[in-house]
Amino acid sequence: MNIRKYNGCVDSCCISYFPILGGINTMTKNPYITMKNMKKSFNGVLVLKNVTLQIEKGEIHALLGENGAGKSTLMNILGGVHQPDNGSIYINDKEVKMANPRISQEQGISFIHQELNMVSDLKVYENMFLGSELRNKVGFLKVEEMCQQTHEILAKLGVDIDPKEYVRNLATSYKQLIEISKALLHKSTVIIMDEPTTSLAEHEVNRLFELMKNLKKSGISIIYISHKLKEIKEVCDRYTVLRDGEMIKSGIVEQEDLDTITKLMVGKSISQNRFVHEHSFGPVMLEVNNLTSPGLFKNIHFKVKKGEIVGFTGLAGDGRTELFESLFGYRKKYTGEIKINDQLIKIDHPRKAVEAGIGLVPKDRKENAIIKDLSVIHNMSLSSIGNFERSGFLQENVEREKFQYYKELLNIKVHNPHITIDKLSGGNQQKVIIAKWLEVGADILIFDNPTQGIDVGAKQEIYQQIVALAEQGKSVIILSSEAPEVMRICHTINVMYQGEITARFNGEEAAEEEIMHYATGSKREAAKIG
Amino acid sequence: MQPARKGRPLKLANTNVKEYNPQVSNAKSRLTWLWSEYSVIIAFIIIFIASSIMNPRFLDINNQLNILMQVSIIGIVALGMTVVMLSGGIDLSVGSVLALVGVMTVLALNASGSILIGIFTALVVGSFAGFLNGLMVAKGRIASFIATLGMMAAARSIALYIAEGGSVSGEVNGFTAIANNDLWIFDYPVIIFFVMTALVYILMHKTRFGRYVYALGSNEKAAMLSAIRVDRIKIAVYSLAGLLVSVAAIIETSRLNSISSSSSGVQYELDAIAAVIIGGTRMTGGRGKIIGTLFGVLILGILNNMMNLMNVSPYLQGFVKGLIIIIAVVFQKRE
Repeated sequence: MNIRKYNGCVDSCCISYFPILGGINTMTKNPYITMKNMKKSFNGVLVLKNVTLQIEKGEIHALLGENGAGKSTLMNILGGVHQPDNGSIYINDKEVKMANPRISQEQGISFIHQELNMVSDLKVYENMFLGSELRNKVGFLKVEEMCQQTHEILAKLGVDIDPKEYVRNLATSYKQLIEISKALLHKSTVIIMDEPTTSLAEHEVNRLFELMKNLKKSGISIIYISHKLKEIKEVCDRYTVLRDGEMIKSGIVEQEDLDTITKLMVGKSISQNRFVHEHSFGPVMLEVNNLTSPGLFKNIHFKVKKGEIVGFTGLAGDGRTELFESLFGYRKKYTGEIKINDQLIKIDHPRKAVEAGIGLVPKDRKENAIIKDLSVIHNMSLSSIGNFERSGFLQENVEREKFQYYKELLNIKVHNPHITIDKLSGGNQQKVIIAKWLEVGADILIFDNPTQGIDVGAKQEIYQQIVALAEQGKSVIILSSEAPEVMRICHTINVMYQGEITARFNGEEAAEEEIMHYATGSKREAAKIG
Repeated sequence: MQPARKGRPLKLANTNVKEYNPQVSNAKSRLTWLWSEYSVIIAFIIIFIASSIMNPRFLDINNQLNILMQVSIIGIVALGMTVVMLSGGIDLSVGSVLALVGVMTVLALNASGSILIGIFTALVVGSFAGFLNGLMVAKGRIASFIATLGMMAAARSIALYIAEGGSVSGEVNGFTAIANNDLWIFDYPVIIFFVMTALVYILMHKTRFGRYVYALGSNEKAAMLSAIRVDRIKIAVYSLAGLLVSVAAIIETSRLNSISSSSSGVQYELDAIAAVIIGGTRMTGGRGKIIGTLFGVLILGILNNMMNLMNVSPYLQGFVKGLIIIIAVVFQKRE
């Protein structure tokens, strides 16, 4: 089967590579791929510190670690997306440079991202052959041949999809299968799967696992990134744990139990002090009962008292962002009751939430929080513009004075507040957004991923300010996928898994390993949280 | 306002602030800043000087006043277009709506015999058409290009139907005074244009509405998450554009005491968009100035005037205009 026909001559030099590869008999003790002494830093922050990863031929290798441990960076280096500062990659003891994703693909590496890269308005076979279409001498597409080859590969995987079906009509799990088929089409020898099961139902997960085991038998190596330790136990042969950009341990999955692996991921050094000081809380400010939005979250109950900091943590896609976007009125399709100060209210627009005293510092600051064409001052005053009006006209001098106050209060570093906000550093932008909600006079402040894209020093400052706000009587809700973050600043910690609160801890008593168990679904609290 | 109610100041250890100081910026970067902020004004001055050298008749006061008179209608339409484009949309229906408003105004005028009722009808019809545009964009979630394209076809069709494809003329004395009288040396339309410019400037830069429009055009999701009622602002934006179109329609109708359902307002949307783009407003919204549009309109007016003075074939004038628009956009990209 001669599938690798390219449009241009650029790639022709690599075509001969694969027949050679097929002839080599790899021993299990000989690693097929070695990433040696990988170092990588972004903006002066060392993300990978001397990591070495070895993958054998025909194994499923679990790559483990918390968010920010360096897994994605490592895989992006293998996939040719990032270039390492130091270190080298060997395939079969031959050094290769992954200068770009194309080269990586030619070396037999396929990266199946969490968000699938498919063109939904093209047909299945068109997606399979995208960028490497088969053409006849005149230059027309050989549609039938492409369909035939697509059909053969899909049949090999035991999937019954019409190659001429549009991708948009397929369920997510099938799209994933097509990604895998594409990898087979390109004769990949290594497939990287980044959290492939997050959007799959249980029977689909089982089918995926069957498939992975079959691929393994045919000599394909799979690098499997997942937080779900139960799955790793079920399907993986070996594992490597990364923590803070370092390789902690590599070993055989069967020889370890879940607890040990969790401990390795988390590390013993939770030496970072808790920021929050215990103080007595006021009355219940916010009470949420039975909040449900189909497909996003269900049966959510919780209370937040005056002066309390409540954390919500879990894996990506656990529904916490959607939950609080609903509570804030940005999403409207939900049922259940929200009480503020014991008053039942209906929130169907952010304006209503603000009137009820809720403020939201959203995640992905650039997309959701800052207005990049407005000045720093105007971003601060945007949600409470009534405070700066006199008989319908804006009082810019009042705005300026008010900003000066917040600048000192929150230690915002800006020389000229009339410049547009996008010129500020991430930490200072975040402070301006906090100032915006303080100016509104919000009593309940929701922070979604408050330290995203903020350097370490500024992180501490944001934590201190959040704690100070609680001490002044604000009710604070922190959403974060980083368990240590909520552990440092929260009085109460809720753990979410697939749209439900699976555990609730007192901030002092919570252990990161316990949180991880509930967040990954390997443990569920028997008693209903209410 | 007492700041103390919101909390106590936090004392933090690292307070040695290292910041960028704009005062030390050198002459070159100041020049870049001047160009990026006022490029349209600089371009205007260059074109003005070039025109006065190329043709001595250009500087004649009557010629200057003539230019102002000629741009006033498109100028008023372009003000509304600026607001729409700042919000991230576009309004293709302005020319057709202008014809429809004109026809309705004349009908109301003739039926009632009252100039006031005529003007009132104009304002209601124009802003209602704009309101419908806004409703489609905000509530129907239709792309503004499509919604206003539909309105463009529909409004023209209704105007043609009502006037049976021809022109309608006013039969009330005094209506022509609106466009044809003058105050000192300025014609009324010029005065109306400048007053409208001032009002829209104040609206966009001194009121919350303007602030919200900029926010919405720059980042709609963040604006919504900042508790701005985005839908209402959008509807208001298109209604305002419609209202300004009706002011332009009143002048257009009053000028010759008649309006043509087939040829009035044709291609006004292109001239208005051209003026806004030349004035430096960003196509995707969030950035731009009313003053920029004013000078964009004046640049277009001077170019038209010069081409007439220099006997450039009217068939070639569109080519020059097209070239200028493209050059303006290329310069914007540079920023």
